[in-house]
Amino acid sequence: MSATAEPLLKLDGVQTYYGSIQALKGISIEVHEGEIVTLIGANGAGKSTTLRSINGLNHPRHGTIRFRGRDITQTAAHDVVRMGIAQSPEGRKLFPRMTVVENLEMGAFQRKDRHALPEDMERVFTLFPRLAERRNQKAGTMSGGEQQMCAIGRALMARPTLLMLDEPSMGLAPIFVQRIFDTIVEVNKQGTSILLVEQNALMALEVANRGYVLETGKVAMADDAKALAQNDDVKRTYLGEI
Amino acid sequence: MPTVAALLVALLLVWLAINLAKGPAYFTNIAFIGLTNGAVYALVALGYTLVYGILELINFAHGDVFMLGGLISATMISAVFGVTTKSSTGFLVLAIVCTLFIAMIGCGVLNAAIEFVAYRPLRGAPRLAPLITAIGMSFILENIAIGWKGPGYTALPNVLPKGDVFSAGGVTYTWEKLIVVLITAPVLAALVYLVQRTRQGKAMRATAQDRDAAAMMGINVNRTISFTFLIAGGLAGAGGLVYALYFGQLRYDSGYQLGLIAFTAAVLGGIGNLPGAVLGALCIGFIQAFNEGLRWHSPGSDWTESIVFSILILILVFRPEGLLGERTPEGG
Repeated sequence: MSATAEPLLKLDGVQTYYGSIQALKGISIEVHEGEIVTLIGANGAGKSTTLRSINGLNHPRHGTIRFRGRDITQTAAHDVVRMGIAQSPEGRKLFPRMTVVENLEMGAFQRKDRHALPEDMERVFTLFPRLAERRNQKAGTMSGGEQQMCAIGRALMARPTLLMLDEPSMGLAPIFVQRIFDTIVEVNKQGTSILLVEQNALMALEVANRGYVLETGKVAMADDAKALAQNDDVKRTYLGEI
Repeated sequence: MPTVAALLVALLLVWLAINLAKGPAYFTNIAFIGLTNGAVYALVALGYTLVYGILELINFAHGDVFMLGGLISATMISAVFGVTTKSSTGFLVLAIVCTLFIAMIGCGVLNAAIEFVAYRPLRGAPRLAPLITAIGMSFILENIAIGWKGPGYTALPNVLPKGDVFSAGGVTYTWEKLIVVLITAPVLAALVYLVQRTRQGKAMRATAQDRDAAAMMGINVNRTISFTFLIAGGLAGAGGLVYALYFGQLRYDSGYQLGLIAFTAAVLGGIGNLPGAVLGALCIGFIQAFNEGLRWHSPGSDWTESIVFSILILILVFRPEGLLGERTPEGG
């Protein structure tokens, strides 16, 4: 990436509130084309709120968000998807009374190229063979790990330019965590930029190009992922090393 | 407790069986009345269940939208088209079809406007707030009806043919009952098609199951909610026409009574569940008809509401999700 090119996504001084409570106190981050960027930090640091500010579910009160050079600060959530940002949200938020296949189809709801859907669905099933086995099961009756795969698959079905993943390893058995991170790298290689929110900072910093450490609604540190993984403060606080 | 419930159901079945044995033809005629009433209730009950499914809001104004649909229909039939008992069948059909569309569109737009004015600004408010505005809207609509038609009944001429479709061995089925079903069935079929097969229906189901997730899929949630109110209002409009034609008169508070029954039907079937609303409505239609019509030890019309609500209480105790409702993690 060249230093002069405008980033794919750029948040500048974003302040977001829940009612009268300020959750983000001026977040500035960037995601460049082709990157995996991770946000790490403790519970309540503002990671998920940052994603909700970007995807239009919780518009910032101050600051700007630009995506591919366009201001999307106040863009409605359903238009943000159309512009190329898809998300696997916190808590998965699948449609519980729809089957796996129906959920995946919902992921592609706004796409015009309906003919390409079967191919994309096969791609999701290749990434997550477990979903293929459960294709006709109601999403609400699946295990947490299977739901997580379905949520990621659903976001992929939108064929996004930027894929945002909120805690993709949450509630997964270790073997699946490895699988999910392999998948993230795989998807990124196929050309999708990724903004990854993770509690599992060790794994996140391993796959990411760059990372931001969030603390109480502010960016506390920003650096290359490798440098962050070697940082003593980060090690002590987020990687569980002494 | 389950044995008590089983005993009650057994008693009910025995009572129905004895009545059936004492006069099969008479019993069948009463069942036809129940079916017809149930069809009218179903049109209104579906509106409650559609709106509840998508917003988890009991739209208390819905019964009054139905009532206005009935008044619009009565006005169209008698004053605008000038249908009388002597009108030809062709003209009658034309007038009914035109009135159906006008009532459905009018009530649909009215219902969507109510959502826009009274519920949407309260989308983020505690749940009690839109519930109170719904009750307020109900009073406003009733007062509009009084202002328009006065407090008395608005009657329309008995335009539906009373002849028999068939009559055999004491069992008779009249044209007016068939016409109610002939109006109701296509409307219900269209609704099922809309919700199950179309893109708009998919958006409705997604919005009902998770509003935030629906928005993330690219669904315009506000527009989908408006559309749902439009459809619910349209069903109420159709219900208003059928009610006006079949019962012949209505006034400003007709929607309160019928709305309560229809809402009960929706809860009985499992609120938020479309086939459930139809099933619940038919159940209540039959309960009412059997209770008021059967001759052998039936409690009679004074008891209808007590019986309907007793059954509702029993259902809610033993199957809180209703007859066809699904047990969901949210407790619905």
